[in-house]
Amino acid sequence: MERFPIGIILLLLASVVIYLGLAQRALDRMRLSDRGALVIIAAIIIGSFINIPIPFIPFNTSVNVGGALVPVGLAIYLLSMAGTEKEWGRALAGTVATAVTVYVIGSLLNSGATVEPAGRYAVLDAIYLYPLVGGVVAYILGRSRRAAFISATLGVLLVDIFHYIWLLRNGAPGNYTVAIGGGGAFDTIVLAGIVAILLSELIGESFERLSGGPGVEGRSPELVQNLKGPELNTSGEGDGDKNRGEGTVASSNDWRKVDRDKNEKQE
Amino acid sequence: MKNKSKIIILSGIIAVLIGISLLYYRAENPHLRPAFTAAGLFDKENPDHLAGQYTTIVDEQGNVISMMARKVSSGDEIYTSEGRHYRIDRVEGDRAVAKFLEMDSQIVAYNEFYANQSVSVLKDLAEKNPGTFAVYHSHTDESYVPSDGTEAIPFKGGIYQVGKSMVDRLQGKGFHVNYDQTPHDPHDNNAYTRSRRTAVNLMKTNPAAMFDVHRDGVPDPNYYRATIDGKNVARLRLVVGQENPRMSANMDFAKKMMAAANNIHPKIVKEIFVGKGDYNQDLMPTALLIEAGTHTNTREEAALGVSLFSEAIPAVLGVSPAAPAPAAPVAKRPAGTTTGAWKALGWIVGLTIIGGLGFLLISSGSLDNVKKRLGGFGREFYSFLGPRRLAARKPGEPEIKTDHSKEADEVNNPVANKTLRERKEELTKD
Repeated sequence: MERFPIGIILLLLASVVIYLGLAQRALDRMRLSDRGALVIIAAIIIGSFINIPIPFIPFNTSVNVGGALVPVGLAIYLLSMAGTEKEWGRALAGTVATAVTVYVIGSLLNSGATVEPAGRYAVLDAIYLYPLVGGVVAYILGRSRRAAFISATLGVLLVDIFHYIWLLRNGAPGNYTVAIGGGGAFDTIVLAGIVAILLSELIGESFERLSGGPGVEGRSPELVQNLKGPELNTSGEGDGDKNRGEGTVASSNDWRKVDRDKNEKQE
Repeated sequence: MKNKSKIIILSGIIAVLIGISLLYYRAENPHLRPAFTAAGLFDKENPDHLAGQYTTIVDEQGNVISMMARKVSSGDEIYTSEGRHYRIDRVEGDRAVAKFLEMDSQIVAYNEFYANQSVSVLKDLAEKNPGTFAVYHSHTDESYVPSDGTEAIPFKGGIYQVGKSMVDRLQGKGFHVNYDQTPHDPHDNNAYTRSRRTAVNLMKTNPAAMFDVHRDGVPDPNYYRATIDGKNVARLRLVVGQENPRMSANMDFAKKMMAAANNIHPKIVKEIFVGKGDYNQDLMPTALLIEAGTHTNTREEAALGVSLFSEAIPAVLGVSPAAPAPAAPVAKRPAGTTTGAWKALGWIVGLTIIGGLGFLLISSGSLDNVKKRLGGFGREFYSFLGPRRLAARKPGEPEIKTDHSKEADEVNNPVANKTLRERKEELTKD
């Protein structure tokens, strides 16, 4: 990119720094430590340059490591760490809802050979539509940031799969290129995941501040445990948590307060 | 009490969703229902020349400014080649009335700037700095009815020949052009998600500029048709995406391109449309979407159009305002025309700071806590800057200190502390 004036170079640098910074802060909230989040970012960047071709299936299909394998792997890891089956179900329901919504808006509603530049009713670009729908759906279903990330990330993947089926049914030429996650660090899969976390973080934090924190009464202990900040008891995890889950609203609120104060001190 | 607040929150969310969908379908949409019928959705034979399939944009005096092959909504913006800046004020069925805002000082300045450049200087500069360009198509089925017989040929539309004529012209001038012919069918909005992958791939070749070549879908061929040197040419529309956070940098490039191209071949670029989308322009400040004529123009007209347009590309990228330009007009630029890149930089940094502070306020709940958090910012990096705390610790002191002294005191033995540290690592910031 020779010849770019200093303004553009600074702009590019600033955008990359901000983008990666935001990504790190967002991934930070996904059951990862600071260091873990950095490792994931590094894996996404390095992985952007690695395309793995998938043989024996129709079309010129490949999967990008940074743009698809790492974020999807993280989403699956988060799913596997989910506290309850309900949490699982919600994340998957969010995924399907996101994919269907984006597919209907992006591929069915906004299509047509002479509609330019992007569909008759195109108002929001797909790169924002995925996280918006994913984030909102995940928040309504489970008020969960992780579910938002999972919905947005796997939602994009699911739309890719819909598209693959479309290609099969419409007789696309054999050399059609399907590059899942081919955009690497800038792929919609990564972008959607990060924006979804930030969005639900923003909505979530605001609502929780306003409503005095998430309700824990009557929730299963696994869910409650996942809501908590760093837990520092060494006596077997299960017992302590169960007691807490069965506590009254008042007592659990106290617990949360202690937890929050602790966090403030820590930070 | 809990249930009540739950209901309030839920109804709030529902209200927001209803609001969003209303916004989405505002602009009193008489053609909403056909879009939802399954038959209409997949009907490739659907006659696109029906009234209502495109919108005519007029100014307040009733003069036609532009035509769009999509619904427009108030707030959409158009910059004409002379620099007239319009914003859609109201939409009445197939007609939209645009309000004239101002003469865009930047376009006027660029028009003047390029008019004073001698072509030989531009050529010289371009030859000294041979760069790489990238060309691709997001909508690869786009075709031209008079030449191709149809408006859409799946996977191999006539648009490829149009793109090729642009590539040929640039290559003929000695530039290296990466032309990615990956198809991204079907013709829909999600095509941009698919072409994003192609665009990122092209960026790895470090292009000076990247062009996504399309054709428009307004039925009237004369809207784009012009005669240049006795030949019929389809003129172009440049599209800049509004939802790109660095939009002003791309806008700057589009304005320069329009001015430079129109200087060589007057009116070859009709206008710049500011569309509701990103069009993958966030990837590069010099990424641009070109509409080469419309589907009722001939393919040859469109091919000639982009070919003439591409003559100006090296000039724009060779003579950036930062380079020691031979002519004075740079200094003559009217006040207030900050370069787009700086403007975009200001926006991004400003938004980040405001957003970050806002978020900090929400997540910490009070100004005091914000102060505390900002004060403790450096501590975040301890784990990366080596075991400072461990090194500074006096021998014999417990490994985990004050922060969790209560818990630490209760279980003050090495095994428990180790477990604690592992637990903390695992759950930090969770």
